[in-house]
Amino acid sequence: MTMLELKDIHTYYGNIHALKGISLRVEPGEVVTLLGSNGAGKTTILRSIQGLLRPRQGTIRFENKALEILPAQAIVRLGISQSPEGRLIFPRMTVKENLEMGAFSRRDTLGIKTDTERALTLFPRLRERINQKGGTLSGGEQQMLAIARALMARPRLLLLDEPSMGLAPMLVTQIFSIIQDINNQGTTILLVEQNARMALTVAHRGYVLQTGQIVLTGTAKDLQSNEIVRKAYLGET
Amino acid sequence: MAQAIKSRNILGAIAALTVLLFGGWSGAVIGWLLGTGAAFIACQGKKITSAKTGIRLGVNAGLGLGIWILIASLVQGFLLLPTTGQSALGIIQVLTLGGAGLVVATLSGWLMGAAQGLGPRRQRITVAFLAVILITFPLIDQLADTNWTATVIQILIFALLALGLNIVVGYAGLLDLGYAAFFAIGAYTTGFLSSPQINLEWNFWLVIWIAAAVAAVAGVILGAPTLRLRGDYLAIVTLGFGEIVPVVFRNLTQIQIYEPISKIFASLLGQPKLAICLVGCDRPFNLTGGEAGINPIGRPALPLIGTFQSGKYLPWYYLVLLLVVLSVLMISRLRGSRLGRAWAAIREDELAASAMGINLVQTKLMAFAMGAFFAGFAGAFYGAYISAIFPSVFDFSVSVIVLCMVILGGLGNITGVLLGCVIIMAADRLYLPQLAQVLKSMLNTSVLPNVANPALRDFLATSVDPLQMRLFLFGLTLVVMMIVRPEGLVPNAERQAELQSPDEESLAEVRSL
Repeated sequence: MTMLELKDIHTYYGNIHALKGISLRVEPGEVVTLLGSNGAGKTTILRSIQGLLRPRQGTIRFENKALEILPAQAIVRLGISQSPEGRLIFPRMTVKENLEMGAFSRRDTLGIKTDTERALTLFPRLRERINQKGGTLSGGEQQMLAIARALMARPRLLLLDEPSMGLAPMLVTQIFSIIQDINNQGTTILLVEQNARMALTVAHRGYVLQTGQIVLTGTAKDLQSNEIVRKAYLGET
Repeated sequence: MAQAIKSRNILGAIAALTVLLFGGWSGAVIGWLLGTGAAFIACQGKKITSAKTGIRLGVNAGLGLGIWILIASLVQGFLLLPTTGQSALGIIQVLTLGGAGLVVATLSGWLMGAAQGLGPRRQRITVAFLAVILITFPLIDQLADTNWTATVIQILIFALLALGLNIVVGYAGLLDLGYAAFFAIGAYTTGFLSSPQINLEWNFWLVIWIAAAVAAVAGVILGAPTLRLRGDYLAIVTLGFGEIVPVVFRNLTQIQIYEPISKIFASLLGQPKLAICLVGCDRPFNLTGGEAGINPIGRPALPLIGTFQSGKYLPWYYLVLLLVVLSVLMISRLRGSRLGRAWAAIREDELAASAMGINLVQTKLMAFAMGAFFAGFAGAFYGAYISAIFPSVFDFSVSVIVLCMVILGGLGNITGVLLGCVIIMAADRLYLPQLAQVLKSMLNTSVLPNVANPALRDFLATSVDPLQMRLFLFGLTLVVMMIVRPEGLVPNAERQAELQSPDEESLAEVRSL
């Protein structure tokens, strides 16, 4: 069964037509990446899935449930959570409190405890900073916190929005290897990235977006060898 | 250590000012209150291993305060009284009053210090001390003949308001500039339900809950259209709401309501008599009494005590104290609850909060409703206490003053908010009027007769009036506060981190490199 399926999604910001008929699907266990330059609509797709923006047209189905009619909090409860663009951690809460907020939709105290432990094992750096305010963390640590916080909702589908943004190259490698680990532990991932090279190393499949439309799709391998992708996103001539 | 000395000197100055202005036994009363406080502050943040260390610190603080009081008593008795046209006190009298202040302050410090030395039960003992002070205060006040209870009741009414606004502004981060509207709605609900205005004389103990509930509903009604707004825009809408409500109450004096369908038919047929009248048929119905307001409003009654009287402050004091204590208990529970955490999250970042699965609509509406609920409490008590309400009481300045209390004390911190309330209200309602009176008699007896120039004399007589400078002093305090200590007197730990630790932040950045 397909996990997530978008059919002909049109989303607007006021009068600006941001998504012009997006259709895509994510199978269970996959890492799917959305590639594209600034303003292509990658973040808009994630926000539409999560219910933070409402598409004007089209359907979004998650395990055969229609998402486009559900409020954001119900979508989180279904098992979709997001590490948003620009991280958006809670700066005045400690790392621990941030993680607790991630589990806001859950009430199983015991499960939350195990998941906190799991997140801190994935990101040992966060354990060292557990009582520090989120706002005082470095950029890389904030990114780790944002991903860990999203994991605290125990999602079956994890949406990651630009996890490499503004990070030093060494950290980027580290983050991506953790993303791989998360996927290996059984979480399906929809990954939005500008760093196409890194994204295609962890992804199984990918979609290439241009100004609100999907122009290309294929397996990661196909995309890596595709002429257009090589020129536009991998910086090769 | 420097902090303790600084706070002791500030408290000492306050005590001295009190003695200078009020004279009499006020030194003993303020020595009791501030001596306990000074000892508590002196013990803060220190490792106190035995009662002995606590007592040493406490007595030290109390004694320091007592010396301020003694000196102030001497100055007041010998120098100040003659300049205000009263006869100076005898040496024995002055020494009795000042000495009593000194002894009481030291004793209070000793007691508090000893209590702080009790180790793990420290916190509970401190609360017990506070309870004893609050419960015995009006009795001591009567004994010492200082007449502060009436003002303290007003302070406590505003404490209710400040606590409620703290939920909206401090917890949920929604700037509300029209908070007085809910105060008004609570008061007017009480007015409608227990006054001759519409011939309802319901029991106060029921009405106060209804008033709070009606205010909460009004909070939701205000909240609903503002859900999409943030920051400045929200502030403007709430400001508008705060202006509308008193105007509505001012103008609901001539109500005539017709059944709408028959009214349309009647006007179409040109026969106004066909319209079916529902309310105020013979004579337009006066709901709110306009500018004159609603008067009299029913007072609470209890078995044994009977109906509460206007000049007898004791039952009123204990009632409002009970309301404040209940509110503090409820609100401190709220903070750590699921709802409280959701408020904290939307204050930090709405989009992220929404992505965490927080229902923005519900969370924001609850903040408005809960905040308004406590204003409703305050309004109901106020209406019954004054026994009359007028629209002009609930104007914009009330909203601003309450907001100032919250900000001055420390957004999001209950202790801070209460402290801010006590400071602003005591300064405004207690010290300033007394200062005005003392200055006036001083001018009349010692200054004006010696000024030859009549123009200058007129100028002095009219312009030296601290009451006229009330708002100026108020504004000045806020400006100084915002520069010196923007996070408030007793800041919420989170906000302090944000406003005062740039070094920590840059450290983290350096570390990550």
